[in-house]
Amino acid sequence: MFEIQLGAAGQVVMAGRLDATQSDAALTFLNGVAEPRVIDLARLDYIASAGLRVFLITQKRVKAAGGGLRLINVNQQIHDIFKYAGFDRIIDIARGPG
Amino acid sequence: MNERRTSVPSEAAQLPALTQFLQEFWSAAALPPAQALSFELALEEIFMNVVMHGSHPGTVPRVEVSLVLTDGDVTMTLEDDGPEFDPLSLPRPDVEASLGDRPIGGLGVFLVRQMMDAVSYQRVGARNQLRMSKRIEGPEERADSPSATDGRLA
Repeated sequence: MFEIQLGAAGQVVMAGRLDATQSDAALTFLNGVAEPRVIDLARLDYIASAGLRVFLITQKRVKAAGGGLRLINVNQQIHDIFKYAGFDRIIDIARGPG
Repeated sequence: MNERRTSVPSEAAQLPALTQFLQEFWSAAALPPAQALSFELALEEIFMNVVMHGSHPGTVPRVEVSLVLTDGDVTMTLEDDGPEFDPLSLPRPDVEASLGDRPIGGLGVFLVRQMMDAVSYQRVGARNQLRMSKRIEGPEERADSPSATDGRLA
């Protein structure tokens, strides 16, 4: 199960498992958001490299337009994966509500 | 010893079934749920690698997955009958590069190496065999006890 939608405050909300079978849908959704900024991962349970790719492509696009992503409510396990990949150096990632 | 084995065609649509296979092994062996994630990730990365890169034109290889629990170590083996390919030969990505210098992709096998205690590749006859293992600490082991960390820091 994977869900991606826009929250009431304009933040992107992801929930469930962002695996290789869901990453294209996630990227298509994000490409449809003009200037994604905050992405709430409180209910994201799982990510692997196909999911990391979605964040990398989106961060490149948003940065080129002068913005930047902020990932909030990232749980410990998913934070570890972002960190192994060195994404904490290139994306603003907060474990709490930020 | 707990052991399970399954086999699927190397198609992306099989990934959820493989994940379920792993989760069933995990519960049957009464392993701590929080520690399943590293194996779920390793399974996805190595399986998807075969899906994307591992077929002779016009054929779909089969991928066999086995899981074994012995003395607190979980070993997962993926075997496929695709062309010879050692994923461990892939270059290590630069995880310190700036955003502009980051290529899209190339992180999967690197993550597997980070999350497993041991990873090895062998060509066995006409099959690729990738074996990964990791010590799973039971809830009864304290994180600060020497027995829980011995041999895992190297």
